[in-house]
Amino acid sequence: MTHPGLPDLWGIIVYCFMLLLSLWVLYKQSSMGDETKSPIKFICLSNINSLKPLIRYLNKSVWPLLTLKLIVLMFFLLVIYAGLNGTPIPQKNIATVLTWNIWWAGLIVSIFFLGSSWCAVCPWDTLANWFVKPRLWFKYKINNSLELTPPKWMRSVWPALLMFVGLTWLELGVGVTTSPYWTALLSLLIVVLATLTLAIFKNKAFCHYVCPVGRTVGFYSQLAPTELRPIDDDVCAKCTTMECYNGTDAIDACPTQLVMGKLTQNTYCTSCGNCVKSCPGDNISWRLRPQSYEAINSARPRWDEAWFMLSLLALTSFHGVTMMEFWEGWISEFAQRIGDSGQLLSSFSFGLIVSMVVPIGLYSLVVLVTQKISKKKLHFKKIFTGMVFVTLPLAFSYHLAHNLNHMIRESVGASQLFYNPLGLGENPPPLSDSLLKEYNMIISQDALFIVQALLMMFGFWIAIKVLRYRAYKLTLNTAVSISPILIFIIAVNGFNLWMLSQPMIMRIGMCITPIVTVN
Amino acid sequence: MFSDVFVKIKTQRFKLVLFMLSLCITTELSAHHVLGRPAYSLNEDSNTPPSMQIETQIGEYYLTYMVFPAFPKPGESGRLNVYASRIDNGDTYDGDMTFSVRNDEWLKDDNREIIGTQQVYDGVYRQGFIFKENGSYIVTAEFQSGGEPYVIDFPLEIGQSSSMGPVGIALGTIVFGLISANLFQRKRLMREKIRSARED
Repeated sequence: MTHPGLPDLWGIIVYCFMLLLSLWVLYKQSSMGDETKSPIKFICLSNINSLKPLIRYLNKSVWPLLTLKLIVLMFFLLVIYAGLNGTPIPQKNIATVLTWNIWWAGLIVSIFFLGSSWCAVCPWDTLANWFVKPRLWFKYKINNSLELTPPKWMRSVWPALLMFVGLTWLELGVGVTTSPYWTALLSLLIVVLATLTLAIFKNKAFCHYVCPVGRTVGFYSQLAPTELRPIDDDVCAKCTTMECYNGTDAIDACPTQLVMGKLTQNTYCTSCGNCVKSCPGDNISWRLRPQSYEAINSARPRWDEAWFMLSLLALTSFHGVTMMEFWEGWISEFAQRIGDSGQLLSSFSFGLIVSMVVPIGLYSLVVLVTQKISKKKLHFKKIFTGMVFVTLPLAFSYHLAHNLNHMIRESVGASQLFYNPLGLGENPPPLSDSLLKEYNMIISQDALFIVQALLMMFGFWIAIKVLRYRAYKLTLNTAVSISPILIFIIAVNGFNLWMLSQPMIMRIGMCITPIVTVN
Repeated sequence: MFSDVFVKIKTQRFKLVLFMLSLCITTELSAHHVLGRPAYSLNEDSNTPPSMQIETQIGEYYLTYMVFPAFPKPGESGRLNVYASRIDNGDTYDGDMTFSVRNDEWLKDDNREIIGTQQVYDGVYRQGFIFKENGSYIVTAEFQSGGEPYVIDFPLEIGQSSSMGPVGIALGTIVFGLISANLFQRKRLMREKIRSARED
């Protein structure tokens, strides 16, 4: 079953928008300096009178977060139980539908509005915490953790990047998304990893360095309109006790060791709210900011993070490629040439590597060209890490547009699964089911196309804003000096838009894996 | 049940569905089965039971393996069909094909057993089976073509598999990890106590 792609008309509109905006940015880049002088507006939610009582309650009470954690945990345990005991038909088992169609697709949508809020209710972390540090009562707690400092090689996002590549391989290569059983096993495996990491290392090393979902959420949160920040920066500047960093007797320290007074980016914030509760001056609160402010202005470039962001872009596009109709033919032909057989995992792995090498190579090339044509002597690494933020909105907008397709088209009737979450006694759905789903979508197909087209325009617009500001910071102030990166942005967004306009294969449709050997 | 659903739909909607079906018909064929991954299907035009199907690729051949019923139970007779056609020209393989079966569970003897050698009939190799016990099995289809031996393994699940294995392993690993950490922690604390006592 395939989903129809974005109609040509919408594609042309987006391409025209990209062209006009590109011409505009080439014309306006030299006046960027004047624009940076205008002040940025933030709205602190605890300063809004009508919201004050609610925000105060949410900040101080443990119950709202605990209730949410319990609800999410209940669904998580249901996924494991249904995956291990339910039908292997993926469309009829709540494990696959809830995990891949609703959660995995909806998670990206949630970041658009709520940033890294998912991490606050993450069931992997909840279970790991309860296993390792079960609280007997408020102040006294058992601590089974060795609290070791993670080794130096681990203190970066490289482990998370490896996990992310591995997750993509399992998801698209092995086909975990189409197997309730393997979905449950993967869920269990991550609980084990999170628990053991917490039992060995101090703070939340798993969330900070290893979790591929947490880091993806973290990087995309740079584009979110919400953040946890000090209400008054001066209070933090004068603070000597730093409860947010050190914790108190009752409240744990920041699990990712952030100091609120110096925080400039959401990347490692898990939205747990410990800083809000531990701050003696009640100086931390949620606030609204201009969308993508952090990616444009305040996020600091780092080498490992740059690679994660580039890989995020590559793997997001790769998701799209594997759902194109030509993908199967390509892989089959390649498999024949190299003598691959069965599930063609070697061929798939090769495709995965190529899909990462091409955009990263392309980006490196445009950075090199930028370095050559800029009059200033800028180091390659400085341009590479400084300009990489342009990839975030491109990846995010395509990810959102792509996931909306899955969520809106494939989640129809998902609530019915709660009557029989294990799908016991159910038959595979006939072809007509998929067609009826297309017909009974939550929103009309035209509305979906409009949202997808707007998202692609949004991604491009933010990427251009990032390009302008970051290039200005690197003193790349001429139309010529920003052209290579601009071409890269156009190429990536153009390719993603082209993929959106192609028919896309459904996420769920098959199951289990065959084992094949050739003698 | 399928026809009941359609009766309820207004004529206009029905026409639209038919129109969409006609538009999708060419992509359906290529998209419904993804190579190497099993699919469960229900033939809505006949009374045949649901089947499990895997399409895969090996050497010069595309193979399709189907199991009837999709979820066979112990003591119940089932059938597997295998179709083999050349990738380059679509010609069907017409030599003999031997089927064998073995256990695919940890810590169990694989008990390999040949269940039959079949000849092609109407482009299909058909092999019947009856299993006495629940379990995970591997069916192996073997044939020779162009002087090359082809050996293809397919999974076959009989009855409901136990879910306690993965949960037990996960919980066991967590408990082992936590107990180890706890013992290590106690030793560390003890060492610190002894050291501070010596210093005093």
